[in-house]
Amino acid sequence: MSDSVIEVSELTRRFGATTALDAVSLSLPRGAVYGLVGANGAGKTTLIRHILGLLRAEHGAVRVFGLDPVADPVGVLSRIGYLSEENDLPGWMRVDELIRYTSAFYPKWDDDYAEELRRAFALDPAAKIKDLSKGQKARAGLLIALAHRPELLVLDEPSSGLDPIVRRDILGAVIRTIADEGRTVLFSSHLLEEVEQVADHVTMINQGRIVLSDRLDAIKESHRVDGRVPSLDEIFVALVGVPAAPAPDA
Amino acid sequence: MRSPALPIGWEFRRRHLWALIAYAAYLVILAAIKLLVLWPAQPVTLDERATVVTVPLSTLFFYFLAVFSFGLAGDLAARPSLYPARMFVLPVTSGALAGWPMLYGAAAMTSLWLGTALFARWSWGIDLPLLWPGLLCVVFLAWTQALTWMPYGLPGLRVLITVLWLTVLDAVVLLAVHYKVRETVMAAMLAPLLPLAYLTARYAVSRARRGDVPDWRGIFARPGSNAVLTRRRDHFPSPARAQVWFEWRRHGRSLPALVGLLLPFELGLLWLARDAPGFVFEILFLALITPPFMAACTAWTVSRPNPQGRDSYGVPPFIATRPLTSAELIAAKLKMAMWSTLAAWLVVLVATPLALEWSGTWSVVTERVRRMHDAFGTPRAATVVLLILAGFIVATWKQLVQSLHIGLTGRAWIVKGSVVLTLTLLILLGPIVEWIIDRPSVQRTLWNALPLILAVLVAIKMSAAAWIATRLDRGRLLGDRALVLGAACWCAAVLALYGVLVWFFSTPFVAHYLLALIAILAVPLARLSAAPLALAWNRHR
Repeated sequence: MSDSVIEVSELTRRFGATTALDAVSLSLPRGAVYGLVGANGAGKTTLIRHILGLLRAEHGAVRVFGLDPVADPVGVLSRIGYLSEENDLPGWMRVDELIRYTSAFYPKWDDDYAEELRRAFALDPAAKIKDLSKGQKARAGLLIALAHRPELLVLDEPSSGLDPIVRRDILGAVIRTIADEGRTVLFSSHLLEEVEQVADHVTMINQGRIVLSDRLDAIKESHRVDGRVPSLDEIFVALVGVPAAPAPDA
Repeated sequence: MRSPALPIGWEFRRRHLWALIAYAAYLVILAAIKLLVLWPAQPVTLDERATVVTVPLSTLFFYFLAVFSFGLAGDLAARPSLYPARMFVLPVTSGALAGWPMLYGAAAMTSLWLGTALFARWSWGIDLPLLWPGLLCVVFLAWTQALTWMPYGLPGLRVLITVLWLTVLDAVVLLAVHYKVRETVMAAMLAPLLPLAYLTARYAVSRARRGDVPDWRGIFARPGSNAVLTRRRDHFPSPARAQVWFEWRRHGRSLPALVGLLLPFELGLLWLARDAPGFVFEILFLALITPPFMAACTAWTVSRPNPQGRDSYGVPPFIATRPLTSAELIAAKLKMAMWSTLAAWLVVLVATPLALEWSGTWSVVTERVRRMHDAFGTPRAATVVLLILAGFIVATWKQLVQSLHIGLTGRAWIVKGSVVLTLTLLILLGPIVEWIIDRPSVQRTLWNALPLILAVLVAIKMSAAAWIATRLDRGRLLGDRALVLGAACWCAAVLALYGVLVWFFSTPFVAHYLLALIAILAVPLARLSAAPLALAWNRHR
């Protein structure tokens, strides 16, 4: 059995005249924290949607746990925790209803852990999702993604537009997940310093193509300039020509 | 000089231009037919071709109600205003925010009525009043806008108040028409309602703009709700049950609520029908067709995966990433539709006998039952009543689920194309039926060809079902066992219906094979089976 959790080979996807992914190949080792970085519109979400089976591979192949996520959605999705960039949790549900509803789908759901996370994230069980702030919604989404202790945690731009406290919570949860032996994290972001803090593998994607993919320490080592280790941001700019995240005043 | 009126008007025109062009083009085509095909000088009888005008007119009327009240973009049952919050930050007064959409809506409604009335006068030679029906349309729209933009203290209160107020308006106008009130009096009655609607709308928008949404939910909180909360924390026995609960909470309660809302008004007419037995049965028929009719109205929300989302046709990631097969997601929708249907019928079956009893019209119904009993005998009479009831219940469920295979595809062009096709068929239905009724030779031909027509329809249905079953099998959307079980259930339903039809129509004039063909056509198969395919196509794009 392969030790890769995700295997993507020669994946190409076009939306009309736009090529969202161009012959992307990727292998995600088990137990790694994998950062997928690139500017907005680089193709990160399209790649993640293929991994979840929300997009069908037109050219190339996607395997998750050795399974085709489109042909076997139950086999794949029951082992994945996913926090969507859109955070489209149903607004009419209460927090306790969301937890109760989601728990039904995962045999490994851990009630104690869910309650621990709910308390840690300060979520009122009687509050409706639509009445939560953006940060609280992200916490609720993270709670249901983590509480079944998934083999693969997929976070699509989890901290985009969130305040530093929520980002800290998310990163803290990611680190805790890493501590659980054998679990894998795929973490997409355009905030490279955030990825730098937690990822041990990094893939840089630009205009649908992978421009660099390696272990973080190897990337840094290979881009050392005059003995100084550059930041991931600097490496990205050197490779792509523009920063992944827009300037704060842009 | 720049004015906020221009961008507000531009937004309406930009988003709905094609609908207006389609309606104008439709009138031009009708005019061309009138000029080139029919005799230009000879008026056409309206009876024959009424649907040609009434269907598009009423469709566009409701479309305008939805467009100009911003009802297409929000949750009608929610407490906050339906007025788009993004417009609250525009540097204009609340009066302007309320006034411009009302003015544009009034202009659109007036044009709609004047265009239709003048067209009817020219084509059919019918003198429709120009002033008061147009004014009524504008008043209807203005009050719909005012009441939908108002924030409410309870979920669903908006629908209740709007329906009640518009029904009152409607009833007053109907009474005025009944008593042949003069047009100037009608106009004088309706005109003052417009400034009142504007003032209400301005108040509603200014409240919504400052985030003033009352919350009365606490008043209606049940004592001991904490205990309920604790009890509800029990786990669902299976993912399928959890999904049915989700669907029920999302869509299941709309139908019983709408039926419960309409029924008191319909059954209230029984008090006026004590001395008119015929009217009693008309009211009962109205009550019986309410669930299937309202099911047809609410079906679009059931088949639309994400009504309030940015992409209302696509499956939201939250649902798409549930570890359930597409067939299991559809099964949850079908079960929810069943529970929703039963709940709606429970309302009808409880309310109707009570209304009959309290209105003193029970005796009219029992008298008719006694005559049926004398004519058919108890078993047959009871079976007929039960079959009619079962037919209405099944029709309600069918209305809820039969468009799933369209809405769940997630493709706007399929959904919109299907709406256009349905409207076209509705428009053509009237003239075609009239044409057949007027020509005995056509009736004879159709009667003789009936077995062939039914056989062709059955062949099309079974071919479609076979193709769908193959696709379901190849795509591994349904296992072999589920496919065989589904086919067996369908066969059993067809056989049962066939048995009932043979028993009921025990006459040598109707061949049994015709009844078999009717039974095959009546039990849903192809469209229901296509729903998992449609969802999978949408879920895995």
